[in-house]
Amino acid sequence: MTENREQLVAFAHACALEGIEKDLGVFEVDCKIVEHLLDHCEIIVPMENRFFVKVNCGGVQHSVIRLRKAPFADITEKNGLREGRSALAFTGDWDFGHTCAEWDSVISLGIFGLRERIARYSDKYTDDAERSRFYACLGAVYDAALRFIQRAANEADAQGKSEMAEGLRHLAIGAPTNIYEAMQLSLVYYTLQQFFDGTFLRTLGRLDELFYPFYKSADSEFIHELCVDFIREIDRLKVLANLPFALGGTDVDGRTAVNELSYAFLSAYRAARVSNVKIHLLCSDDMPRDILEKAMDAVRNGDNSIVFMSDERIINSLIKLGEEERDARRYHVVGCYECGGYGEITCSCNARVNIPKALELALFDGVDVLSGKKIGLDPNKNPESFEELFAEFVRQLEYLVDCAVLETDSRQIIDGRLHGGPIISGTYTSALEKGADIYCGHSAKYDNSSINALGLATAVDSLYAIKKLVFEDKSLSLQRLKDILRSDWAGEEVLRLKIKNRFAKYGNDNDEVDGIAREIVDVLANSINGRKNAKGGVYRLGTFSIDWRHPFGEKTCASADGRRSGEALSQNSGATFGADKNGATAHLTSVSKLDTEQTPNGTIVDIDLHSSAVVGKNGLDALVATLKTYFDKGGFAVHYNVLDTEVLKDAKLHPERYPNLQVRLCGWNVLFSSLSEKEKDEFIARSMRA
Amino acid sequence: MEIHDGDGLRTTVFFKGCPLKCLWCHNPESISFSPQYARFKEKCIGCGTCGGALNGTTEENCPVSAIVGYGTEYESGELVDLLMKDADFFKNSGGGVTLSGGECLAQPEFAVDVAKRLYERGISVYVDTCGYVKRETLERIIPYTDVFLYDLKAIDPTVHKSLTGRENELILSNLRYLSENGCNIEIRYPLVMKYNDGECEKIGKVLHGLKGIRKVKVLQYHCFAASRYDALGMENTLPDTVTHIEDVDRAVDILKKYGLNAVNGVKDI
Repeated sequence: MTENREQLVAFAHACALEGIEKDLGVFEVDCKIVEHLLDHCEIIVPMENRFFVKVNCGGVQHSVIRLRKAPFADITEKNGLREGRSALAFTGDWDFGHTCAEWDSVISLGIFGLRERIARYSDKYTDDAERSRFYACLGAVYDAALRFIQRAANEADAQGKSEMAEGLRHLAIGAPTNIYEAMQLSLVYYTLQQFFDGTFLRTLGRLDELFYPFYKSADSEFIHELCVDFIREIDRLKVLANLPFALGGTDVDGRTAVNELSYAFLSAYRAARVSNVKIHLLCSDDMPRDILEKAMDAVRNGDNSIVFMSDERIINSLIKLGEEERDARRYHVVGCYECGGYGEITCSCNARVNIPKALELALFDGVDVLSGKKIGLDPNKNPESFEELFAEFVRQLEYLVDCAVLETDSRQIIDGRLHGGPIISGTYTSALEKGADIYCGHSAKYDNSSINALGLATAVDSLYAIKKLVFEDKSLSLQRLKDILRSDWAGEEVLRLKIKNRFAKYGNDNDEVDGIAREIVDVLANSINGRKNAKGGVYRLGTFSIDWRHPFGEKTCASADGRRSGEALSQNSGATFGADKNGATAHLTSVSKLDTEQTPNGTIVDIDLHSSAVVGKNGLDALVATLKTYFDKGGFAVHYNVLDTEVLKDAKLHPERYPNLQVRLCGWNVLFSSLSEKEKDEFIARSMRA
Repeated sequence: MEIHDGDGLRTTVFFKGCPLKCLWCHNPESISFSPQYARFKEKCIGCGTCGGALNGTTEENCPVSAIVGYGTEYESGELVDLLMKDADFFKNSGGGVTLSGGECLAQPEFAVDVAKRLYERGISVYVDTCGYVKRETLERIIPYTDVFLYDLKAIDPTVHKSLTGRENELILSNLRYLSENGCNIEIRYPLVMKYNDGECEKIGKVLHGLKGIRKVKVLQYHCFAASRYDALGMENTLPDTVTHIEDVDRAVDILKKYGLNAVNGVKDI
C-alpha cells in the first residue's frame, strides 16, 4: 500500500516523537522509518529515465532531523557565542551531508550482496547481543531495500520499460552483471541513501574505476550512449550545487588509473549538454596528456564543470593528517573540492571562520564594528609594529577557530540523538565490524570534522596595506586608519581607490604579499589540522569560500584593502576580484605558494580566461602547460571560466538564444540565464578583464 | 604572459623606441626611446592628487591609473631575474621569452645581453624585429635566438617609405642574410586595406625561394590604439580603413600560391 508524502511524514514524525518520549535508540527508530518509507513510498517512472525511478519520500528524514534538533536550538546561547556567531565571525554545525559511500562495495556487491555481507557479520558475532541487534535492524532495512527494488522493477514493467525492469530484477537478487546494471545500481544506491536514509550523498565516486570491470571494448558505441544517458539522468536529479563524480587519479600503487571509461565519460559529458553535473578530474604526473587536452578542450568550449585536482597533493594532505597511506591513496572528493580518505566520514562543511573578521577584531579591541558588540578577545596592547599587529591578528584568529570548534563539538557530541543513517552505514566495513552505525555509533574509521576559512585575499591585502601605510610609509596613523574604516571610507575615496588600484596585492607573484597568505594558512593549519573533535576524530582545514563570501562580507566592516563595508569577501584561495593584474600564471604561482598539503578539506582558485586567449592548438597547449606547471609548483585544485564579453552581453539581453550557456559560480556550474542581473553584470565585468 | 607572439607560453618584453614610424602602429607608446606618460581623461576622477588636470609626472599617485607611465629602466640581470619567474611555465609549454617593441634590436647591447643570459639558462628566445637594424646586431644575436618574428610591410620601396618613413633596402637584405644563415623565420605581414594590400603578390614573390621561412602570418589591422594616441598626446596616424577577416583570408590564399605556409593571424595565434 503506497502512501502520499504527508502520510509518510506523519509516520516518520510519530516514530521520532515516540522515540524521544521513550528514549529509544535513534538508530533503531531510523531503521524503522526507512523500512516504512521503502515499503510504502510512491514510485514514479518518468518516461525519459533510462536507469531509475523517482520516489516521493525525499526530505522526509531531513524533517525528522529538524524535529530532533529543535530542543537543542540554544546551544550557541549556552556557549555564550550568540553575538560572535550572528556577526558571522565563525559558525559551527552538524554536517550530515558531504558523504561518500564505500562505493567499491556497493558496485561490486550490489544491494543484495551488501545484505548478504550484513548477514555474514551477524553470523560472526552471534553471541554479542548489542551487535546482533544492530545487524538485525540493518538487515531489515536492506531487506526492505531489495523489496523496493523489486517493486520498482514491477512499476517499470507496467510502464513498458523492459530494459530498466530487467536490470532492476537482477539487482533485487544479485550483483550487477553488465555495465548498464552497474550504472543503474549507482543511481539506485544514490536514491536509497539520499531520499530514504536522508544522508546527503555528495559524490558518485570514481566512475571510470568503478565501472571498468564491466567494460567491454567491443561495445564502445553502446557505452557512449549509456554514459550520455547516465549523465543526463544525473542532471535530471537537479542536485543543489551539482552532483559530482570523479575520473582519473591513481591506483593503490600510485600509477595512473585513467582507462577507456575516463575518456568515454568526458566525451559523454560533452555530448550530454547539461549543466547539473560536476567532474572531479584527478590529475597525476603520469596521466596521459591527451585526457587533459580533452578536458581542457571541453572547458574552453564552455563545458567547464570540471575541477582539476592534484592527486599527489590530496594524498599527501590526508597522510599528513594522520591517515594510513592505503586509505589516503583511495581518497574520495565530495561536494566542491573536499577530500577524504577511504572509510572517512568527511563532514566537510561543519564550520567556517571569517579571516578578515579576525583582523577587524585585532584593530578594534575585539569589537565587531557593525554591531558594536564585543565578540573577540580583549586587546593585548596597542600594536607598535606590523609584527605586533600580526601577532594580535593571529591571536584573534585562533580564538575564532576555538569558537568554531566549540560550536561544532557541542553539536556533534549529540549526533547520536539526531540521525542514524542505516543505508550508508551498511556500506562501511568499519560500521559492520564495530556493529554500530556511523552517526549514533561513531563507527567510521576516520570520524572527522572540518573548518573552512574564508576571505584569505581580503585579509592578506588588508594586512599588507596597513603594513605599508602605517608602519613603513607612516603616511597614516593606525588610529586614523581605524577611524576611516569605521566610517566606511567617508571622505576618503581617493585613499580607498589608491589602495585598491595601486597597492601590491596577493595574486601577482609578489613574494612579500604572498608570504602573508602563506603564513595565515600555516597559522590556521597549526590550529586546526589534527585537533581532536568530539567524536574521536580530528579537524581538517579547508580554505574555500564558495558563495558564503557574500553573507560573511555583509557582516564585515570596511577593510584596509579598499573594500567597502558589506562588500563580499575574496573568493576561495584566489586573488581579490580585479587585483590579479599580472595574468593567470602569476595568479596561479601566488596560490601555489600556499602549503596546500595542509588543506585536506580543499582549496581552489578560480581562473577567468577570455575566449580569444584559448583558441587553436597553441591555446590548448598553453592551458595544459599552465595546469601542469601549477601542479608542479604545489597547486591543489583549479577551475576555469572562459568568458566572452560579447556572448555574455548578448545572453543577458536575449537569454532565449543561449539556453545552455554556463558559468562556474564558485564550486559548481549554473546556467547564465539563472543568475541575477547583478551577478550577470559581475561576470560581464570579469570577462572584460580576462 | 600570453600565447600570442610565438609558441607556448611566452613573456613578451616590449622595448621602447623604434626606427620606423608606421602609420598604423598599434603600440604608439613604443615609438619614442624616452619614458612617457599617457593621460587618460576618461578615467580621471578630478581628485587633484596629481596637481590637477592630469599634470602629474608620476603614475604612483594617481588612484585610478589615469596616468600611466610607459618605460621602465632595467639592468639586464634584473630583467632576466624577473623573466625567470615564469621559467616553469616556459618549460612545460615549450614557451619562452619574446623580445619585441618598438624595435628591440635598436638597443643592441642590452638586447644581446638579455638574450645571452636567457639562452644560458635554457630559455627559448624569439626576436620580433622590423628588420631596420644593423647587420652586426643580427650577427650577434643569432646564436641566442630560436625564431625571428620578422615584419614585412611592403616590397615597393616608395610604398614602404610612405607607410613607415623608411626605405626597405636594409630590411630586405637583412631578411636574406637571416635566411642564408639558417635562421628560423616567421614573417608578420600586417594587412592594412587600401594601404599595403597591393603588396601581397610581391611579398609572395620575394619570400618564395627564401630558405627558413617557416610561417607567414597575415595580421588583421585594427584601430584599438586610438585612445592611447590621444592619451600620449601624439598625433593619431591610424588609417581610417577596415581590414575584414575575409580580406586576410584572401591574402593568405595569394601567399599560399607561392608555396608559403601562410596563416590567418586571427585564427592561428
